[in-house]
This record gives sequence, structure tokens and C-alpha cells, in this order.
Amino acid sequence: MTREETRDLAAAYALGALDAGDRGRFELLLRTGDADAVDALNEFETTLTGLSAEHVVTPPASVKTALMARIAAQGQIASPAPVTRRSWWPALWATALAAGLGAIVVGLYVSVSYERRLDTLAREAAALHDTLEREQQIIALVRDPATAIVALNGLDPAPSAHARMLWNPPAGGLLVVAGLPPAPEGKTYQLWAIAGKEPPVSAGIFSVDAKGTGSLRVSALPGIRAVDVFAVTVEPAGGLPAPSGKMYLASKS
Amino acid sequence: MPPGSIPSVDAAALIGRMAARDREAFSRFYDAFAGPVLGLIRRVLRDVGASEEVLQEVFWQIWQDAPQYDARRGSPEAWVFMRAKSRAIDKLRSIRRREKTFVLPVDEAVARVTASGTENPDEAAEGRGAIQSALAQLPAVQRRVIELAFFEGLTQSEISARLGEPLGTVKTRARLGLERLRGILKGERVTAI
Repeated sequence: MTREETRDLAAAYALGALDAGDRGRFELLLRTGDADAVDALNEFETTLTGLSAEHVVTPPASVKTALMARIAAQGQIASPAPVTRRSWWPALWATALAAGLGAIVVGLYVSVSYERRLDTLAREAAALHDTLEREQQIIALVRDPATAIVALNGLDPAPSAHARMLWNPPAGGLLVVAGLPPAPEGKTYQLWAIAGKEPPVSAGIFSVDAKGTGSLRVSALPGIRAVDVFAVTVEPAGGLPAPSGKMYLASKS
Repeated sequence: MPPGSIPSVDAAALIGRMAARDREAFSRFYDAFAGPVLGLIRRVLRDVGASEEVLQEVFWQIWQDAPQYDARRGSPEAWVFMRAKSRAIDKLRSIRRREKTFVLPVDEAVARVTASGTENPDEAAEGRGAIQSALAQLPAVQRRVIELAFFEGLTQSEISARLGEPLGTVKTRARLGLERLRGILKGERVTAI
């Protein structure tokens, strides 16, 4: 916008003759402190003020009376003012400072809360991802025609216990048990795979819940193509390389 | 501003005290400015009742807005008179809109002409005399644009339509007219276009 255009706007603004669009443009200039706009408006307003003040009409006393009553009713009057404007600043600064500190504390609290929540969500997401992956492996295992289902029966320590082993030699398998008592303190259940006359090979350790159910995902066992017997014994926590405890479950050979 | 039209007061100081809610300061400010402000409003509205109503609103707004007064943006006189003029024009436009929308009953229309609140022609002529003397020194085309805006509250688009002149021409004439008026009020010799 040229200086002349700014002065055109200022003149019409002072006259109160700007249309809405131009008035918005000019008020934007004023708000941004445009020096040409401010100076031109001051100049034209001063000119019009000179014209405006020429004619005096004495107003009736009722106008002033009504105004003073309205001001009194506002309840903000001090005559003379007992409080100067400056005296508000300390209170305003204190309020602003308190508000700022409050905002920081609230911000930190919210931030920490959100971080904790994000951690929780991340852990939940990871757990769900693991569950999904396991279940996808089980589905793939079940859908594979080469997967065999082997039944394991309860033996003397837990005759009502029973289990199923989904076994696919190249892919591994899944053991699902029910009816087992919780392993004694410091003990764990361990699954063994026995092929022919070879020594039992550990296929992993597992525990059961309060209802006696549990499961174990078994990886492929290198070097073993055909398992003759699956068996479960109770062993010291962490398991052993060879079985040493009582046998709770076993498949038929 | 002509000497004597406004009593000698430190208007900026009074506004500062009004900002601190000093009622006595407001009273003195009102006494100093109410007469010329009402004169300005009456020149625009030409109706006693409506003018006094606007006068009261203008001074109420002044009391409310005193803490926002910024001396860098203009003199106290300009601050007061531009508000008064703006309010008066707003009122004038409001009345026009209402009159376009509603047809006044005969009795009310007659009352508007004969009531004591209607402008006294002699007073109006006197009131406009000083301004007219300054405006008379302007080229007619510039004077007309300023009169339509200042006295009748028309926007530039409305003036353009009324005069059948391009909008750009109206804008330029308003600006040139005010620049010349400034010179006239400063006592400068004005040359014709």
C-alpha cells in the first residue's frame, strides 16, 4: 500500500466513511503500528476536531445527573482515587507469576502422567504383539497337515491331569496342560522329548495357574526328527539337563 | 480548535485521574467537553432527544475507556470528538435503517416534525455557520464529499453512488479536502484547484 493510499484510508476513517472492508484494512494498519497510518489519522482527526468543537450546545443538567448516577451505581468509584494504577502492578505481577508457576507444575504433572501412560500403553502393545504372534504360530501349526496331536495322561502324582502336545518336527510345537497342581516352592515343571533309546532332551520349563492350566511353546529340537514319548517331570527351578524328579504326565510310546 | 470553545483544562490529566476511577475528574471533564460534544452530535443527528441520548453514551464510554487512552494515538480532544462523531453517525445510520424498514404512522411522523425535540433551524444554521465558513473555502467537489460523510454519515461507497463518481475519485477528494481544511484552520492561504 502506498503512502497516498494510506492517507486516503485515514481521511475516510476520520470522517467515519470507510466501508467495512477498508475499515478492517486500516484498523489492521493501526494495530500493527504503521507510522504513516497513525500520523495521517492524527492529522485528519485533529483537523476534524477543530471543526467539531466550534459549536457549543449546553446539555440539560439531567444528562450529567444520569451519568453520575450510573457511575455511582457501578460501584467502582473513588473520589479522589485512593488507589493509583501503579498500585495494581505488584498484584498483577504476583498473580501472573503464580499463574505461571502453576502452569509449569501442572504441565510437569501432565507430562509425567502422559509419559507413564505411554509406557503402560507401550508395554500393553508389546504384550499384545507377542500374544498375537504366538497365536498366529499356533494357527499355522494347527493348519499344517504334518502337525501331530499327542495326548499326555496324568500319572500317580496327579492322575487327573492331562495334556495335549501339538508337534511338528520342523516347526516345533505347543504343549497345553490342565489339572496339574502348582509346582512346589522352588520347583518347576519341565517337558522332555524322548526319541528311541536316546537320553531325554529338555523341551522347556513351564508353570501352571491356580486352576492347574498352563502352556509351553516349544521350538524345533535340533537333531530329533521323530519323538516317541513326551513326558513332564517336576524339577528344581530353572530346570535340569536331565530329568531327576517325579513324572506327572507322559504320552504313550 | 477555536480558543474559548473548550474551557482551559488539562484534559490528559483528567483522563488519567478518570482511569483511576476519580469521579470528580469525570465531572470536570464532562463540564469542559459536553457542550461542544453535544454541538457536534446535534449537527449530525438534528434531533434533540437522540442527541442527548448519544451524548450520555459517549461520556459513559469515555469513563469506561479512560484506562485505555493512549496519548501517542492522538490528543484528548480528538479522542473525545471522534468518539462522539462515530457514535452520532452510528445512531444516524440506525435511524435510517429503521425508517427504511418501517413506515411511520401519520401521527408519529407529524410529531417528529413539530415536537420540541426537533432541530431548531436557526440554531442549526448558526451551528453550521463556522464549519460552513471553513468548508466554503474548499473546491465544491471536495466540500460535497466531506459534507456527505460528516453531516449525513454516508460511506464512501454510498457517496460514490449518490454522486455518480468513481469510488477512487471519492477517496481522493475526501483526503484532499481534509488536507486543505487543515491548512485553512491553520490560517494558510488556499489556492483553488
